[in-house]
Amino acid sequence: MSLPELDQRDDDELIETILAAAGRRDLVAMAVAAAEVSEMTRNWATHIPWDEFGSLDESTLGEVVADLTQMWEPVDLQVDADEEYALDKNAYDFYRPAGRNLMTRTEEFYGWVEARRRTETWQYSRTLEAAPSSVAQITNDIGRRTRGINFNSQDYLSFNTHPAIREAATKAMRDYGPHSAGSPMVLGNTRISDELEASLGELVRADQVTLFPTGWAAGFGAMAGLVRQEDHVLIDRLAHSCLQQGARATTRNVVRYEHLNVDAVRRHLVDIRRRDSRNGILVVTDGLFSVDADWPDLVTLQRVCREHDATLLVDVAHDLGSMGPGGTGVLGMQHVLGDIDIVMGAFSKTFCSNGGFVASASPALKQYLKMFGGSHMFSNALSPVQTAVVLEASKIIRSAEGDFLRSRLHTAVTALREELTGYGLTCMGEPSPIVPLLIGNEKLARIANRLLFDRGVLAFMVEFPVTPTGSSRFRLQVQANHEPDEARAAAKIIADAIADARTYLSSAFGSTER
Amino acid sequence: MPRYDAIVIGARCAGASTGMLLARQGYRVLVVDRSSFPSDVISTHFLWPHGTSYLNRWSLLDQVLAVTPAHTEVTFVNDGIPLTGSVPDDLLRAYFRDWHGDDSGVVRSYASIRRHVLDQILVEAASKAGAEVRTNFAVRELIIEGDQVVGVRGRDSDGQLVEERARIVIGADGRNSFVARSLGLPKFDERPRCTFAYWSYYSGFDLGPAQLHRRGRLACAVAPTNHDQNMVLVWGPSEWSREFRRDVPGNLQRALDFVSPDLGEVVRTQGVRAERIYGTLDQSAFLRPLAGPGWVLVGDAESAKDQCTAIGMTHAFRGAELVADALGRWLSGDVSLNEAMASYEGRRRSQNAAAYYDYVCTLAEMRPYRHDELQLFVALRGNQQEIDRFVATHADVAPVSEFFQASNLLLLNDAAKETSAGYPVFEDFPATARMYQQNLFA
Ligand SMILES: Cc1cc2nc3c(=O)[nH]c(=O)nc-3n(C[C@H](O)[C@H](O)[C@H](O)COP(=O)(O)OP(=O)(O)OC[C@H]3O[C@@H](n4cnc5c(N)ncnc54)[C@H](O)[C@@H]3O)c2cc1C
Ligand SMILES: Cc1ncc(COP(=O)(O)O)c(C=O)c1O
Repeated sequence: MSLPELDQRDDDELIETILAAAGRRDLVAMAVAAAEVSEMTRNWATHIPWDEFGSLDESTLGEVVADLTQMWEPVDLQVDADEEYALDKNAYDFYRPAGRNLMTRTEEFYGWVEARRRTETWQYSRTLEAAPSSVAQITNDIGRRTRGINFNSQDYLSFNTHPAIREAATKAMRDYGPHSAGSPMVLGNTRISDELEASLGELVRADQVTLFPTGWAAGFGAMAGLVRQEDHVLIDRLAHSCLQQGARATTRNVVRYEHLNVDAVRRHLVDIRRRDSRNGILVVTDGLFSVDADWPDLVTLQRVCREHDATLLVDVAHDLGSMGPGGTGVLGMQHVLGDIDIVMGAFSKTFCSNGGFVASASPALKQYLKMFGGSHMFSNALSPVQTAVVLEASKIIRSAEGDFLRSRLHTAVTALREELTGYGLTCMGEPSPIVPLLIGNEKLARIANRLLFDRGVLAFMVEFPVTPTGSSRFRLQVQANHEPDEARAAAKIIADAIADARTYLSSAFGSTER
Repeated sequence: MPRYDAIVIGARCAGASTGMLLARQGYRVLVVDRSSFPSDVISTHFLWPHGTSYLNRWSLLDQVLAVTPAHTEVTFVNDGIPLTGSVPDDLLRAYFRDWHGDDSGVVRSYASIRRHVLDQILVEAASKAGAEVRTNFAVRELIIEGDQVVGVRGRDSDGQLVEERARIVIGADGRNSFVARSLGLPKFDERPRCTFAYWSYYSGFDLGPAQLHRRGRLACAVAPTNHDQNMVLVWGPSEWSREFRRDVPGNLQRALDFVSPDLGEVVRTQGVRAERIYGTLDQSAFLRPLAGPGWVLVGDAESAKDQCTAIGMTHAFRGAELVADALGRWLSGDVSLNEAMASYEGRRRSQNAAAYYDYVCTLAEMRPYRHDELQLFVALRGNQQEIDRFVATHADVAPVSEFFQASNLLLLNDAAKETSAGYPVFEDFPATARMYQQNLFA
């Protein structure tokens, strides 16, 4: 180097000089300026023949000019601004809006929703045209209709079209009318409510059962009823929203533990008990996780809880009725029926109705939750029709027909998972009515979702806030009515839609998780 | 039987490391680079703790730290909201177990290492490990038989044309990869929006650990580096670069003054610039195919990203361990080349990789921080564990998905110890946001 570094011209200036000289076809001036370009830039832009400018032929000169211009000029983007905005953002970008007017500050989020809707990448708020079965006809939220193999409904044993279930609904309608007309603490329950509590108690082997108007209310209510400000909540990072919200609402002492990690629970319990021997600890997990299709080791988890005087609450919303011996779900599969401190569930997945419950072996806990759970006492009871439907569902679930329906369901699940895996896709978790098909990137998922809409498969794409960012997926919910061939046909259509979305976005990212 | 098991083109972060690791496994390796060493290459050369941990795993860190300052704490200041943290040990260990199956050699300090220092150490290490290293050797052509790459033709330091053959040719030849160009490889996931970056080296002050400042659409950083100097860097959206370039030294100072008046003042009054100002806006992000018959890419050649999270070198190291491990299993006869490359590809093109890629590309657009993002920074204040996790996430030690997860964000919010009251940026946020859209250099 001839000049001291400091006194040399910046590369910017030199490249500008080179480009100007190239315009005049002044190769000598180009070479002179190139000799001054920093070592940094020469070693970086190795595709530019810096030392050969003096002898460039016309076509290489053209290439050099093109390459230098590309390095030097900012890109001029021609993009579909709407689509870019729709694909780029996540719901959490709008979680803390600016401004003191609570109403107007929702506008920004709305603008994004509108962009998502205009670009048909808004997967929410679709509506049904008729009873959903293994096939359904739906309308999306901008009024476009489609029909397809339906993995978009949660009705694992296909009870919605079951004659006995419909008959039970009709009979309850005749006997009691559509309305429960009061809180279960007042006069909202009927005789069949008691029957339902008993039937559920037998199913989960915990006879002290309380009904709630929704599964959400059951989860939230159980936590709000039990946990006080100074208590602790240890909750699986991916547990359902009703439980996360319950944790937030009750105490600031919340620890989210690594998904399924019982060792982590043990460590946290030791840690909490070292500091606090006086207050309660509620450990909270799902049974079958609703977008991951996996479940914790409940045997160890319950033991660890007992060792530290912590109470375990397990949400069996998805597995109860649809899996396990006699429909006992993950609890039955792990032989812990009757052994879990508190079991809660929702009727909305397998039992063909709104509603939820909390069950334990303790009559005291039951009365306490009824009083302090909030969503039990201060909300109207399940309607008679709902109660009758759930009661009938719980009977079928425990019968031989229940076993038959679960085996059909399992056959369809296996066919779907095998076929999807055969296309090189990643099905997360274990065989269960939920088949989470990992996509990952939100853009890819939103485009795949748009493409799939018209191709004869109905599937719900989940992204943040349901899943963590960057791990969006199709959550396929299988039903006993699905034929294995339907499942296989759907798998092909889904695989093609994902492949086409990848081409559309020109993306090379694959489907392995880590 | 070709003379070499592997020929590596490029002898810097990706190439020298890959060559060294393969040679240490006992393979016959030729590493070539058109540069001579020691020499610089465009980079602001900040290594996050997993980057320095790689060097430590390879027993090279002591040599680096003998001449390079290192720290563990780093301060981010976003629109006046300061967060100081470091990458925690447990997350670093989890990272190494997850990516490489063992967590040996983890260190928590980061360092800013001039490339003429670092790359020289890497080149020497490759050579010491038994690789044959030829510098001043420019590859001019790939030798292709059928559809198979079987070797290279190039010009050595004496200007002689030479031909060498190997079982695999590894393109570690950077963003403008010669291998990729000669094979006509496409680019995927292109993200043209990126930053312009201008930086130089200053003596005359010592601010301790590194600082990263952001305000509106501009950012600046200072990190202590070799020769008792500081690397001082400013960056902003590439759309503003034309105006910035009209007066590079003046605008560099103007940007510093705007983003961090304190840092601007220090540089103006105490800083003595030791070199010219370097800059580039050639940073759009892309992926290339990773491997094909007889060839594989590693480092910037396979995926380049904007500098805004200072991760390219660390990723090149990570790629080197991954590819050397995969190729080692193939060369030893344990697995087929296809299987080896599928495992490499699985890791490099995974969901987590995609999420981080998106994180960087979105940051690189340099849009002003949104209200909710700034409020999150306020909520993080005083919550050291989560600040540290944020730092680890930003540096791609912990997966993006674990931080940016609904229950975590809500919980962070609930655990907030501070309010936005003390931060002027919130006073008239819409007006501030509008002001931020104005090109400071226009
Ligand atoms: C402005 C800027 C700032 C950055 N800051 C940081 C940072 O702070 N931290 C960080 O980690 N990363 C940073 N990066 C990214 C980082 O510099 C790169 O990711 C890193 O250099 C990639 O290493 P590599 O070995 O893959 O390629 P390179 O470092 O580019 O090395 C490629 C080598 O291949 C050689 N070569 C090319 N063609 C041939 C040929 N035909 N024959 C022989 N040899 C050839 C070249 O001479 C070169 O030596 C920054 C990048 C930019 C643009
Ligand atoms: C695990 C889990 N728990 C609780 C609920 C809430 O149930 P419901 O829809 O009946 O309110 C759901 C359903 O969304 C769930 O998936």
